[in-house]
Amino acid sequence: MTKISFDLVSPEKLIFSDEVGMIIVPGKDGDLGVLPGHSKLVSSLRPGRVMVYGEDKNLLKSFFVSGGFAEVNPEKCILLAESVDEVSALDKNSIEKEIQELESNANNDEKEKLLIANAKIEALDSSFYEKI
Amino acid sequence: MPSLKDIKTQINSVVSTKKITTAMKMVAASKLRRSQEKAVAARPYSSGLEEMLSSLAASAASGEGIVRLLTGTGSDQNYIVVPVSADRGLCGGFNSSINRETFKLVKSLEQEGKKVQLMPVGKKSRDFFNRVLKDKIVESFIDLNVSTNGYDSALNVSNKLQDLYFDGKFDKCILVFNKFKSAITQEVTQQQLIPLDVSESSKEDKEVSNEAKTIYDYEPDEETILKDLLPKNVSIQIFKVLLESDAGEHGARMAAMDNATRNAGEMIDGLTLKYNRTRQAFITKELIEIISGAESI
Repeated sequence: MTKISFDLVSPEKLIFSDEVGMIIVPGKDGDLGVLPGHSKLVSSLRPGRVMVYGEDKNLLKSFFVSGGFAEVNPEKCILLAESVDEVSALDKNSIEKEIQELESNANNDEKEKLLIANAKIEALDSSFYEKI
Repeated sequence: MPSLKDIKTQINSVVSTKKITTAMKMVAASKLRRSQEKAVAARPYSSGLEEMLSSLAASAASGEGIVRLLTGTGSDQNYIVVPVSADRGLCGGFNSSINRETFKLVKSLEQEGKKVQLMPVGKKSRDFFNRVLKDKIVESFIDLNVSTNGYDSALNVSNKLQDLYFDGKFDKCILVFNKFKSAITQEVTQQQLIPLDVSESSKEDKEVSNEAKTIYDYEPDEETILKDLLPKNVSIQIFKVLLESDAGEHGARMAAMDNATRNAGEMIDGLTLKYNRTRQAFITKELIEIISGAESI
């Protein structure tokens, strides 16, 4: 068993569905590497990067999710994410602008948005896990 | 007897009506296709969520806080009914069947001695209940435009509902909406949203995989996940209902406009026949006048 099937789903649509070699998932308590044959697990997610690797551990795609849930069993990994962007499609300038706006009116509702925006920047800057 | 000119004007107006209904039918057909695709695209998420919930639901002890979305408040005196209609008319019985069903539900709940509140979604049901049960409306939502605004439109409704719920304003929430069965049929459906009815959706697979479900690991832990999952599920259910209702609206409009076009065609045929008969009657009358005039000379 060298492949695990991986579905990335947002409320609006199925974003990614294929057989992959490994996925790194931003779990609430820390990043999780999901390989074929992973034990059964349900985890909630924090805002961060989901990295998808091919069979020989080459990076296929990286997505940014703003939160959600992951369900893992030995053959399959399903990620239910609230909003999904491909990391390459994120625009740093507009996010920084958003952060500034959010910081200027600090109310409770916006705090979550700020958290997400900051995580987006982090996702853009970090090069963790790009090569394994 | 109407003059020729009168009939001609009538024919012309029916012809232009027919043009409009034909155009509306085609617009509805293309919109229907799009919203159907959206409804299908949203399915994997909601089914995934349902699956997760059903495996977690067993572990939920009757508790405080958010878990009450699942376990209920322990009372069933206060109801909130959420009719989901369209924002626009001209779609046959789509809106009126929702309103009628909701009205009946409210009356029957009241007869059982429950207190009922209303939270209409969509202009047509808001306007209707503003007329007949104004004092029961706590909040209404219009212009949600689920096909353009997507998931956010459902969040508004869901957040409001949950605020009310945790303020103890109601014990049970029932959605009344048009379930999309096929392009031409919709079915008025009632669904209990709060407290969540897991038993129904997961009864079958519970028996099959009861064993398998118990060995899931939870991270951080069951309770925390459940706390995240339950509010999300409410939003997703509403989102699903909005999408179905949207698809149903276009389907209903398409069918209604198809009927209207056909009726207009029949009417034009009838009027044209009448027009020709009247014209012929005039000619015959004139001929008789001429002939009888000539004879008398």
